[in-house]
Amino acid sequence: MIKFINVSKTYKPDTVGVKNINLHIRPGEFVSIVGQSGTGKTTLAKLIIAELKPDKGRIIIGGWDITQIKPQEIPGLRRQIGVVYQDFKLLQKKTVFENVAFALEVCGEGIKKINTIVPQVLKIVGLENKTDRFPRQISGGEQQRVVIARSLVHRPKILLADEPTGNLDSINAYDIINLLKKINKFGTTVVLVTHNREIVNALRKRVITIDHGMIISDQESGKYIL
Amino acid sequence: MILLSTYRAIKLAFQNFYRNIWLSLATVLILVLTIFLVSLLFGVKIVADKTIDSVKENVDVSIYFEPDAPDNEILAIKENLENKPEVRELNYISKSQALENFKEKNKDNPTILESLEAIGENPLGATITIKARKLEDYQTILKSLDDEKYKGIIQDKDEDYESNQSVIQKLTDVTNKVNRVGLILGIVFSFVAILVVFNTIRITIYTHREEIGIMKLVGASNSFVRAPFIFESILYGILASLICLLILYSLINTISPFLNKFFEGYSLDIVSYFNSQFWKVAALQMVFSVFLSMVSSAIAIGKYLKV
Repeated sequence: MIKFINVSKTYKPDTVGVKNINLHIRPGEFVSIVGQSGTGKTTLAKLIIAELKPDKGRIIIGGWDITQIKPQEIPGLRRQIGVVYQDFKLLQKKTVFENVAFALEVCGEGIKKINTIVPQVLKIVGLENKTDRFPRQISGGEQQRVVIARSLVHRPKILLADEPTGNLDSINAYDIINLLKKINKFGTTVVLVTHNREIVNALRKRVITIDHGMIISDQESGKYIL
Repeated sequence: MILLSTYRAIKLAFQNFYRNIWLSLATVLILVLTIFLVSLLFGVKIVADKTIDSVKENVDVSIYFEPDAPDNEILAIKENLENKPEVRELNYISKSQALENFKEKNKDNPTILESLEAIGENPLGATITIKARKLEDYQTILKSLDDEKYKGIIQDKDEDYESNQSVIQKLTDVTNKVNRVGLILGIVFSFVAILVVFNTIRITIYTHREEIGIMKLVGASNSFVRAPFIFESILYGILASLICLLILYSLINTISPFLNKFFEGYSLDIVSYFNSQFWKVAALQMVFSVFLSMVSSAIAIGKYLKV
């Protein structure tokens, strides 16, 4: 599903983002990418959604070589990858329903489709009773659920979650992780980028550890080793 | 789907407009000023051109013949003049016609009519009034009548076209100066307008960076991200041209009595001219202002909206 072949990315002037990354994530996997802050986890995530382009190597997503992706092709890629961030990125002036619907609107979907899909994904994340609330009227955990719901509207093959629990207390964090596991069960490949030791250890899924831009360990059913 | 996307982009454009209402109004105001200035410039040019034309139209020379000049000689001169390529219009008043006109003019003055009776014969001569194609032609035409053989036939020639010529010269000079200053001002204002719209769109992009970021994140196409800003600039252009049109025509209709008074005696009705050109003016203003505003927003989008 996701293949990195000898990928390197350096930020100007000479900060290493990632170096010589070789990685293969299979369809339907749940993979945690761990490491301390500033070790290149987010760079990896940005490379997957083509927000950054690698200096060296090739990146293949679902059989599609996105190393030299054209700007007009990026929207197509992003519709196949759901993205969840630590800082939610919700529009404060829109309700829960509108925030999720927005992702479909901007892609030109019709009202009928929006009215079918949005309630469905809101039900998956357990927010079917809070569709008319504004982000400030719901908790952090619920806001993150909205973000996950929004990332699901395009029925993505991959869900990329970059520190989704970073702003949440542990109970809410576990809720979100359980939600990600549920989505993974539907067949979606989940890539979880995190530095939360407890969560990674509790998951018992594949763990890839990054340090100084390089993969230092890749274990099936691994633990947080740093 | 395209229709729906267009509708959504226009909706976003309107939202951008009224959520930043003061910035939007300031931008529109600058555009209005620019278009108004440029329109005024064209207005002045049109008025000046029309004035010059009508002054030129009023220029003519009259040739007065001796009362006892033989008819055939006069008609020969008339024919000669008519055949000149420089002559645009020729008006011949025969001896008897001149008398009729004179009587008609003085019909309320019995003293004059009585003295005319007393003379017994027609004391008036024939007249030919000429309008030339170009001002410079009068010189040539009049010169051709200076011939020795016309002495005793032609009594007098009025040559007041010269004073008209200097009026026209002055008008042309003034118009040229106004045009030059106006052109510079117009360019400066257009430049300022482009900068202001550019900055407004830049600020709009900045205030919406979060939304734009999310749009890109969830896979909105590049054109969909850009479209609202283009529509917003079109909105500025349309609004500005409408306001400008309103100001311009209220101004023209307010000062119309003065204008008409100023041009009294000339075959010129500036106000009704502008009224008859309403749609043309409206279309030109709209095209110009939408063009200005779209150019600057395109620059801003290209520079700040990396998709």
